[in-house]
Amino acid sequence: MNWARRQALLLVGIIAGAAVTLFVTQTMFGGSVEKMTGTASWQNILLVNGLVGLCILLFVVELRRGAIRVLLTVIVALLLGFLVTFIFNLDEASRFERGEFRVQVLTEAEPVEHDDVDLRYNRARGGEFNKPNVVEPVSEVAWTFAGRSGDVVSLLAYAKNRRSPVDMLVELRDAAGLALASSTSASELQVDETFDDLVSSKDAVIEGYALPADGIYTLYARPEDISAATTYSEALNQSRLAFEALLLGPIERVNRWGVWIQDAITLILLGLSFAIVFRAQQFSLGAEGQLYFGALVSGIIALNSPHVPSILLIPFIILAASTAGFVYGLIPGALKAYLGANELVSTLMLNVIATRFFEMVLNFQLKPPTAGYVASDKFTANAVLPVIVEKTQVTIAVFILVVVVFLAWLLIRRTPLGYEIRIIGSNLRFADYGGVNSRRTIMLVMAISGIVAGLAGMHLANGIHRQLILNISFALAFEGVVVALLARLNVLVVPFTGLLYAYLRAGAQFMERDANVSFEVVRMIQAIIILLITAEALVSFFQARQKRADIDEAGHALTQAEDSDV
Amino acid sequence: MFENVIDGIFSAVFLAAILRVTTPILLPSLGALISEKAGVLNIGLEGMMLSSAFTGVIVSAYSQDWFGAEVGTSVGPWLGLLLGVCVSLLLSFVLALFHLDLKGDLFLSGIALNIFGSSATVAIMFELTGDRGNTSTLASLQMPFIQLPEFINDIPLVGGFVFGVFDNQSVMTWLAFIAVFVVAFFLYRMPIGMHLRAVGENPEAAASVGINVKRIRYMALLISGFFAGLGGIHMSMGYLQLFQRDMTNGRGFIALVTPSLGGGTPIGTMVASSIFGFFDALGIRMGSLEIPSQLPQSIPYFATVLALVIYALQRRISQRVSEMRTASGAGFDAVFWQAIQRISIMHMLLMMFAVIGVVTGGAILAAPNGFGGAEAALPAGLAIGAASIALFIMGLPFVSDIFRIQKRWRESAAVTIVSLGAYLSIFLSLFLDLPVALAIGLVASAAVWFVIGGRALVGGK
Repeated sequence: MNWARRQALLLVGIIAGAAVTLFVTQTMFGGSVEKMTGTASWQNILLVNGLVGLCILLFVVELRRGAIRVLLTVIVALLLGFLVTFIFNLDEASRFERGEFRVQVLTEAEPVEHDDVDLRYNRARGGEFNKPNVVEPVSEVAWTFAGRSGDVVSLLAYAKNRRSPVDMLVELRDAAGLALASSTSASELQVDETFDDLVSSKDAVIEGYALPADGIYTLYARPEDISAATTYSEALNQSRLAFEALLLGPIERVNRWGVWIQDAITLILLGLSFAIVFRAQQFSLGAEGQLYFGALVSGIIALNSPHVPSILLIPFIILAASTAGFVYGLIPGALKAYLGANELVSTLMLNVIATRFFEMVLNFQLKPPTAGYVASDKFTANAVLPVIVEKTQVTIAVFILVVVVFLAWLLIRRTPLGYEIRIIGSNLRFADYGGVNSRRTIMLVMAISGIVAGLAGMHLANGIHRQLILNISFALAFEGVVVALLARLNVLVVPFTGLLYAYLRAGAQFMERDANVSFEVVRMIQAIIILLITAEALVSFFQARQKRADIDEAGHALTQAEDSDV
Repeated sequence: MFENVIDGIFSAVFLAAILRVTTPILLPSLGALISEKAGVLNIGLEGMMLSSAFTGVIVSAYSQDWFGAEVGTSVGPWLGLLLGVCVSLLLSFVLALFHLDLKGDLFLSGIALNIFGSSATVAIMFELTGDRGNTSTLASLQMPFIQLPEFINDIPLVGGFVFGVFDNQSVMTWLAFIAVFVVAFFLYRMPIGMHLRAVGENPEAAASVGINVKRIRYMALLISGFFAGLGGIHMSMGYLQLFQRDMTNGRGFIALVTPSLGGGTPIGTMVASSIFGFFDALGIRMGSLEIPSQLPQSIPYFATVLALVIYALQRRISQRVSEMRTASGAGFDAVFWQAIQRISIMHMLLMMFAVIGVVTGGAILAAPNGFGGAEAALPAGLAIGAASIALFIMGLPFVSDIFRIQKRWRESAAVTIVSLGAYLSIFLSLFLDLPVALAIGLVASAAVWFVIGGRALVGGK
């Protein structure tokens, strides 16, 4: 690439990075400088946002045109996710058919004495329509009342309170069952002034009806039928709300921003771990087990050293967690390199073993005997990673991460071992032929990726949870696969994709909280992203000048990442 | 305490339990076998199982609304089976499409399908029931259970036992074991099965004789999806009567190894699946012991890793031996080398036990409170760990180089007999006095060594 184009690319990257940094900061503080400087540790927030911008710069510069593809993939997956959310929300309008209601016959006339009727003048009666999980839910009511000729009555059917979403229909029927009058709504005047009980215009009122004769009448009420237009507009509205929460939720407030950043740190570490090991064409999924061991070791050290000063303890914990990850990565590495045991299966099995081991130690050894649920004691303050942004769990892990990314880049791009890893990744036979000790390298690369996964465990234990809990990883490891793939196995791009993916995950939490759309929708989006990003033929459909490598062996998608680096 | 467990293991109830828990491993294993034979290992089995398990539950629950309670109860399970398998087929079609036509990576597309199966089931469950843990609020149905005719129970001697094992098994269990033979027939007796194996062995060669490689692979992936679907249905409509979040619990991954453990044959796959079923059932039964349940629960996973290792070693040794055979021609002593191979497998199995011993010792040391307190557990843990490490180190030279078994056969014999004798006598000491158990154990293991290959070594030298 010539000089001018490289400068132009750099410029685009800088502009994009600066724009995102500005946008995030502005949204967080609502655009006011006073509010920003009034927030605690705002300098550090700015620093982290600056790093976010740097990640975007790296993403643009490293992936070049590939960046467009990654963004397109994410956008397509998000659109599909929106479609799924829309489908899930098609029943959203049906809430208008549910809820507690009241009906009343209001009149100024004298009450009629009659024993065999359901309603009396001016006395409310109610129930709940279509209550969920009930064998025979109430879907309509027909209650009788006695009336005299000439009584002027108003029939009200309304939601019991603002929490009840039911949209009412009311009918007045005579003794023969013929409808005399009906209504599906209430005017603003009726809601605000005439009738105190009404909640909204969705309630139904028949106002001032003069009964034609003495006798028994029926008040018939049910939820109003929902039109197709209402169904679609409600579903669309709800999905829009959900995606607003997904896309803007994480940067609305500082504490939410903290959720995003702290999740991103774990994901970036896991993504680096996968990127390193996939680089050598080793399909090791052992990060989860290594993470558990890292968390366990750092947790045990933290629990047993309440008096060691933080400045000594934290580096020791970091060292121990990386060693644990290294050792647990060495096992499948050695099995693969020297015995040819399939690393995919062995790492999956070792993951389960590590999880069970973690559970056992936690359950029987670390849990205080009096504790009601399975968790260790809270760590003492000296063992917790120091927080750099108040009210969040954004810790010095940010700086550790910067160092780790730099070291990973050094390893892959600037060391003989990294060269061997790349050679093995592109062609194992060629590597052997060229004198690479491929066995040793394969073993080492799996162990090194374990170091990073062990650090992720340390971050979860000592940075986020500050104690050991069951399911500490919560299936995070597979998300690391997506992060690594989106970054096309480029360790300098992993920070960006980690941030992007953590953003979606954090957004999903707020989407679930604010809009009642299941968190799992985002995991479906994740599956779609993997499918789209690995489908090479989809790309060549759009790119005429696509180099066609041998499409033979599995793992073709991974070798493609090579292209973006050369 | 131990006696209860031992008694339990040798009972019809336990065998019946093995059959029940083997089924959801065996069915996807057959799928994995077929896909592996065609050279397109289906990683997405787990997601396919989950989605069919979920579909089955939902369809069977709602069919009672659709067709009325009476018709629904009889039709529901079968409709659930049909639609569940259809969903699984659909997913495997997506996998095939993305791998074979869109040139996506098989491994990663499979992972994507697993994530999709896991998340979509939970998301839809949440939409339908408001619960994201399980579908216990839905009145879902089970596949029918097959009752054996009473007269079998009256057959003298074996009748009661056979009846105890096979009575009241789900129809899916019967289907699974019948399917083993169907798959064997398909792979080895039908032309299309031979094409499938040819494609797996060497796609270029298969293509050159006019086999449509892509079509065969499509078919293999769809068949594997079909079996995964059946396995999922058994999980939620036989093994349990509801759908739980991620209820397959790694069975789809275990199914990926059983074919290689079973030597790549349907019968071998069945045996390998049954071994997993055995450990699964054992883990459940050992829950009555006063030890952390996590330890027996992880045995199948250890067994898988170790079995992978043994399989890999075994393959290497076979290769060595066959190379030697080619090199030495007619003078090759096949019987002798087969004996050596058998003894090396013996060494490996014994080392596998030693590794489990090391792990048990490690577990005791790591969480002594789970094993009756530090005072009792620590020495026991140390002893078990040290003894196991010693046995492991003793066996190592003979596994790493099989020529040592030939050259130093006396040491090899001693290691085999001592290790096997130790395990046997520990087992026997549950029933007998220690000296007696020790004596019987050593004699028995010597006999085993002699039968397996020792006589060739003793005679050959």
